[in-house]
Amino acid sequence: MNETVRYNDKVVRQFAIMTVVWGIVGMLVGVVIAAQLAWPALNFDIAWLTFGRLRPLHTNAVIFAFGGCALFATSYYVVQRTCGVRLYSDFLASLTFWGWQTVIVLAAVSLPLGITTSKEYAELEWPIDILITVVWVAYAVVFFGTIMKRRIPHVYVANWFFAGFILAVAVLHVVNSAAMPVTLFKSYSAYAGVQDAMVQWWYGHNAVGFFLTAGFLGIMYYFIPKQANRPVYSYRLSVVHFWALVFTYIWAGPHHLHYTALPDWVQSLGMVFSLILLAPSWGGMVNGIMTLSGAWEKLRSDPVLKFLVVSVSFYGMSTFEGPMMSIKTVNALSHYTDWTIGHVHSGALGWVGFISIGAMYYLIPRLHGRELYSIRLADAHFVIATIGIVLYITAMWVSGIMQGLMWRAINPDGTLTYSFIESVQAMHPFYIIRFLGGLLYLVGMLLMAYNLARTIYSPVPAAQPSAAPTGG
Amino acid sequence: MVLRHFLKILLRPGEAWQAIRSESWTIGGVYLGTIVPLAAIPPLAGYYGTTHHGWQIAGNAPVRLTPDSALPISIAYFIAILVAFYVIALLIQWMSSTYGERQPLVRCLALAVYSAIPLLLIGIVQVYPVLWVNLIAGLVAMTYAVYLLYRGVPIVMDIPDHRGFLFASAVLAVSLVSLVATLAASVILWDYGIGPVFTH
Repeated sequence: MNETVRYNDKVVRQFAIMTVVWGIVGMLVGVVIAAQLAWPALNFDIAWLTFGRLRPLHTNAVIFAFGGCALFATSYYVVQRTCGVRLYSDFLASLTFWGWQTVIVLAAVSLPLGITTSKEYAELEWPIDILITVVWVAYAVVFFGTIMKRRIPHVYVANWFFAGFILAVAVLHVVNSAAMPVTLFKSYSAYAGVQDAMVQWWYGHNAVGFFLTAGFLGIMYYFIPKQANRPVYSYRLSVVHFWALVFTYIWAGPHHLHYTALPDWVQSLGMVFSLILLAPSWGGMVNGIMTLSGAWEKLRSDPVLKFLVVSVSFYGMSTFEGPMMSIKTVNALSHYTDWTIGHVHSGALGWVGFISIGAMYYLIPRLHGRELYSIRLADAHFVIATIGIVLYITAMWVSGIMQGLMWRAINPDGTLTYSFIESVQAMHPFYIIRFLGGLLYLVGMLLMAYNLARTIYSPVPAAQPSAAPTGG
Repeated sequence: MVLRHFLKILLRPGEAWQAIRSESWTIGGVYLGTIVPLAAIPPLAGYYGTTHHGWQIAGNAPVRLTPDSALPISIAYFIAILVAFYVIALLIQWMSSTYGERQPLVRCLALAVYSAIPLLLIGIVQVYPVLWVNLIAGLVAMTYAVYLLYRGVPIVMDIPDHRGFLFASAVLAVSLVSLVATLAASVILWDYGIGPVFTH
């Protein structure tokens, strides 16, 4: 391979640092709204600080700002190294960085002001949606352009996952955000009634399936073999589960609409595909865990590997929980309860969060040619964040089941045993535990920010310039 | 012998795990001697607590379960615990060849049971159900159970510590998966009529 290849690591550095920054911002907002659920007075009667406005800010910040920046950073890093070439266009890559940051800032301003389409995970109004489309097309051009000019004939499987994620998100975003603008700040969806709901959850579930799963599996398939210094356990399995995953996920959306006006057969279809989805999901988990198996000696001393192995375990857990909850009978109890919130966060904090954190601990020292400042701090981060997740999801399991039980409890004469507000009061202790769990996770992020800042500003370069181009 | 190593696992886990490793167990012996008596604690306590004391929500009069509905739930609870240990033991055995040598099933069962002893014992708090007290007690017991598991895996499975870390994490993930499966199964059972009937 030609030694003169110079990778574009500037854009990777930028996205990597913003991953940490937006992670802290998004999780801070999450902790604030968790506190508001436990102590409602904390919105201080200020409209911009109410739960209804901060909640979409939290979801957008953690999914698209934190998760999005992590995906941009890692995909740009991985595609260059696995193709052996520099990014297709430095200008377009830079455009994606500044464009994506603009989208995030606009979201952070417009959502607290109450400017929203009211579509979950797609709340941003039409001018921002157009900007997202422009940035995303530029992203696709950079990514696929780099693959087109690759010097290594084989397209490594991580790039398949990134490519699938970029294409699917483009389609999902454009179709779901189709709307008729009325003013600069207001538009109406192109779909009406139950069709709108169906399109919304086709989008919403695939935001999980492609943005939060396929993209992050791309991260897994590069960083786990790299850090463990072992080949992927089964390359055939990785390709098979890629195709099975992308085919199956697209159909699973209707499980968000069980027992609604959506036709019953569509609900059943969504449930069946959600159950099938267990197989490709666990294919990925098995591949990740088995790749790690054998890197035993490293596990003790390497915080990056710890984050990666626990993240894959949580991926396995939440992709088992998801199909269970999509069963109509179970969903009749679990839907609209905190069980759903717990499920989402075991995926978000455990899987997406931990694999991103692991990737950042890997990337940022290398990109700056430094050794990680403190392994002990990173270990502390790992322990604190793990306790935080466990507190969070156990509190939500208990409160979710309780809500489900209380809402369906009826007296012998057929009246409801509990009023809604009684179920809200009963949640109070669990909301405090959830708040503490979230707070611990945020503290872990702050430790990481300090650790990585000390790493970047350390005057001592790493013994081996690990940022130097290596084959893949 | 009933309840062997029972106190030792709580007070001196390292020694207890060594002894458990060198013991010659039988599956029936582990079930009759250890699992059945301990696994009876949570369902019995739960039955008594939910039918006699009930629990208070938001300062209302306590809600109880009718004995007729609490009995099948408690029995199902008991059976679920017995089955769960067997399933987890099978999964531990299945994974053991990945992490070291394949171990006899009974040793995997002993590992699962003795790690879970704090959880089974703390089931006694269900005698008087105050939900948040139960949750906190449960979290403390869970923490200790996880600690026991991480201590126990390298000793009982006879593998190096760092390899045990990953194995223990895998066991934990498998247990969480089993827990979720149990949650889903209970909801489905409720739909088929084995569910709570409330009374004031």
